[in-house]
Amino acid sequence: MMSSVEFYPVNNPIGDLVRSIFPEPVAVLINGLLALLSLMALVGSLGAVLIYLERKVSAHFQLRLGPMRVGPHGLLQAVADGIKAIFKEVLKPEGADTFIFFLAPLLPVSAAFLVLAVIPFDHHLQVADPAGGVLYVLGVSGLSVLGILLAGWASNNKYSLLGAMRSGAQMVSFEISIALLMLLIVMVSGTASLRGIVLSQQGTLFDWWIFKLPFLGIFAFVMYLIASTAELNRTPFDISEAESELTGGFATEYSGIGFAMFFLGEFVNMFVSACLVTTFFLGGFFPPLLGVPVIDPILSLIPGFLWFFIKAFAIIFIYMWFRWTFPRVRVDQLMYLEWRIMLPANLLLLLLSGLFVAQGWAG
Amino acid sequence: MSDFIFYLIAGIMVILSMLAVSLPNLLHGAVALVGSFFATAALYIMLQMEFLALAQIALYVGGIVIFMLIIILLTNDLGVDNSLSRVSLSRQVGKSAIIVGLVLSLFLFFKYNPSQLLTATHRAAPVSIDQIGIRLLSTTNGFIVPFEVISLLLLASLIGAVVLSRRDTKKEEK
Repeated sequence: MMSSVEFYPVNNPIGDLVRSIFPEPVAVLINGLLALLSLMALVGSLGAVLIYLERKVSAHFQLRLGPMRVGPHGLLQAVADGIKAIFKEVLKPEGADTFIFFLAPLLPVSAAFLVLAVIPFDHHLQVADPAGGVLYVLGVSGLSVLGILLAGWASNNKYSLLGAMRSGAQMVSFEISIALLMLLIVMVSGTASLRGIVLSQQGTLFDWWIFKLPFLGIFAFVMYLIASTAELNRTPFDISEAESELTGGFATEYSGIGFAMFFLGEFVNMFVSACLVTTFFLGGFFPPLLGVPVIDPILSLIPGFLWFFIKAFAIIFIYMWFRWTFPRVRVDQLMYLEWRIMLPANLLLLLLSGLFVAQGWAG
Repeated sequence: MSDFIFYLIAGIMVILSMLAVSLPNLLHGAVALVGSFFATAALYIMLQMEFLALAQIALYVGGIVIFMLIIILLTNDLGVDNSLSRVSLSRQVGKSAIIVGLVLSLFLFFKYNPSQLLTATHRAAPVSIDQIGIRLLSTTNGFIVPFEVISLLLLASLIGAVVLSRRDTKKEEK
């Protein structure tokens, strides 16, 4: 039988310090609380950072400067926006369902929280490492679809309902692609635990799954990027809140902190998705060693969590790049892309990588 | 401690399940159902059945409830209170009588026939995901035949769905 310490490896110096001071049951409690608090701090600060980044990136793509007034280079703009959102009056449309209307904005953020708990940021920087981590990620991310569907229904507004229905159909469809790609990674790395998947990519840059699987890795990576962009409801797949058609989709009726929660959920989910891409394809917390004896020790000096964040933010930049470059697709084009192109391609990819695994060509 | 947590989770589960079937608003019922699925998953975690808990969340919360919600949203006015969900007093009384009778008879049954479940649970080791996978696909001691039969069944239903939803192109041309 596994003890709870083995089950949830908080084996970093802070965890050991807490264990050396307090007796066993209290230490487990304190370590758990510390892990939760650090996740909360991460989510809270990420929201501000990502919103600032999005505004700056979009501005520079459009030859503007973006926020410049509040603080140096507008650094405090996100804080000001947050304070404004908190103090704004919360409006509820007439005939809306009170309970569900206020429950719905919480669900996407909770989904992001729950997934962050299993992300391996570094060797010992992971809240929990269940053996079926991939399954857990798939299951929990269903909560954000739930939140959007409930929000659309509870708002008592046709635009909201339409947006929610579109978004639900879109997210459920693209989740199939994401699940199949995750299955591919699980198949080639031989484990479903996220930490195990990262550990299976140990070595140089060419041991990451994006390069380790000849050709297939890059295809899988690109398809994962497309599918996760669609899953995140981001442009070019943001048909669920298409401003020109639906005035804002499922979030039409939300104001103040409710809208801010949806916004935060969207951004943190983007970070979570980038973390998953990093974990599955880009070697997680391993440095990009080149196999060159001069450079490698220098690269290894940088701690793992910094590498993880560098990779994750590179992926986030790609998501933002997509958003400010491509025009929005139509609903039917989106469904065509998933069911007629992505799904068969996914199945083919899975078959081929099965062949690779059976022949022992992969890793 | 673990007894206390068990009763807490079980109590939450029972209350949420009762709410799921008795709330007049279908959407509220669905939310209660999600809560009760999570509580069930928590119970599985307590039993160290990790895979079962994860499958519970992935299949029920991530899949089935979402489809239920989409169906409710597609159906006109079903989400709102309607006469279907109003049950007369005599039926309520009958319902509670049946529930009380069932609980009582279960209690009596286990009182006079002490079950082996508890000792069996104590003896059983927690099963890892790897073991489940190997057992499912092994040809000697496993469930490879049912597994393949189920996949064939799924394939058949997929093809059936495609055939049903396919538009007849010849008719549209006319």
